Amino acid sequence: MLIRKEAMKVIVNEIKNEIIIAANGFISRDLFNVHDKENNFYMIGSMGLASSISLGIAIKNPRKQIFIFDGDGNILMNFGSLVTIGSIKPKNLIHIVFDNSRHASTGGQPTNSKFIQIEKIAQKCNYSSVFRVKNKQEIIKVLKKIKTLSGPIMILIKINQGGKIGNRIEISPTEIKERFMKNLEQI
Amino acid sequence: MIKNFQSNVFNFLLKNGVENFIGVPDSTLKKFIHEGLTKKKIIISTREEEAIGIAVGMSLSKSKSLVFMQNAGFANSLSTITSLVQLYHIPIIFLIGWRGYLPNDAPEHKKIGKIQPQLIKNLGLISKIVNESNWKDSCLWALNQNKKNLTCALIIRREFVD
Repeated sequence: MLIRKEAMKVIVNEIKNEIIIAANGFISRDLFNVHDKENNFYMIGSMGLASSISLGIAIKNPRKQIFIFDGDGNILMNFGSLVTIGSIKPKNLIHIVFDNSRHASTGGQPTNSKFIQIEKIAQKCNYSSVFRVKNKQEIIKVLKKIKTLSGPIMILIKINQGGKIGNRIEISPTEIKERFMKNLEQI
Repeated sequence: MIKNFQSNVFNFLLKNGVENFIGVPDSTLKKFIHEGLTKKKIIISTREEEAIGIAVGMSLSKSKSLVFMQNAGFANSLSTITSLVQLYHIPIIFLIGWRGYLPNDAPEHKKIGKIQPQLIKNLGLISKIVNESNWKDSCLWALNQNKKNLTCALIIRREFVD
């Protein structure tokens, strides 16, 4: 298994410049440090809502692929989001969950994700395809595979905790928003 | 269902560029929601925070959004309003049903109904109470705030007990 930052590097290397909505906490911080770009939307607060924000963007931009970088603690906090996504079924939504069974950003306290399979619940909620992967080769393989599939897709990546804490995001929320919106407008 | 000003509010906002109506139902707002459902323009979410998240995604895509909720759901949403909507300055129109406005309303509505005006004020959320006689002006006001990139709330009082 990889740590979150390593897994993230593998993904961004494969998906290059796709739109990413990153959950709050270490997920946003890692993405900022691994591959900052204008079409990353970093959440600073409002835990749990990365998938909801992404759903809104996916509905309004049906020709663009939208990647969610979510965490196990995050999606557990907003499980209803799976129901709403599964009811609307946006074809362009790819939901990646970095699952370390920890609330890493608050000190590594356990979540209950180790007792359940989040991707199986997503499947029951009408996600078109779900995957559970745990190493670099599997991540690369699944990212190539989904190019021919339509969403909503969930890729749950089991990761280890650990690694150096990424620097805080140095750009203001307003700037994050403005550059994201400007980029989204361009075709 | 008898048409009343709530149907007018829905149709007026729709006609004037609000494209998305997302939320959790409230009996106080049922005529508004009914109008939207009839026109297939409503997304019902599981919780109010989720509705706000979806609306934020749509607003980031430059599509005007309204989020409707009970005041119980408004209480659920405080953190989402402060750390998402206000932190990023995202313009959303809220429509909130004021349960507990009447003194003889149901027990679970009383406390939240009592503190609602102060809660809205403390949040720094600009708001207007919409009724039969001012609905058009209130809608115009809300659309104008939205155009100025400001978040605002329209409040409908629960003036019945069932």
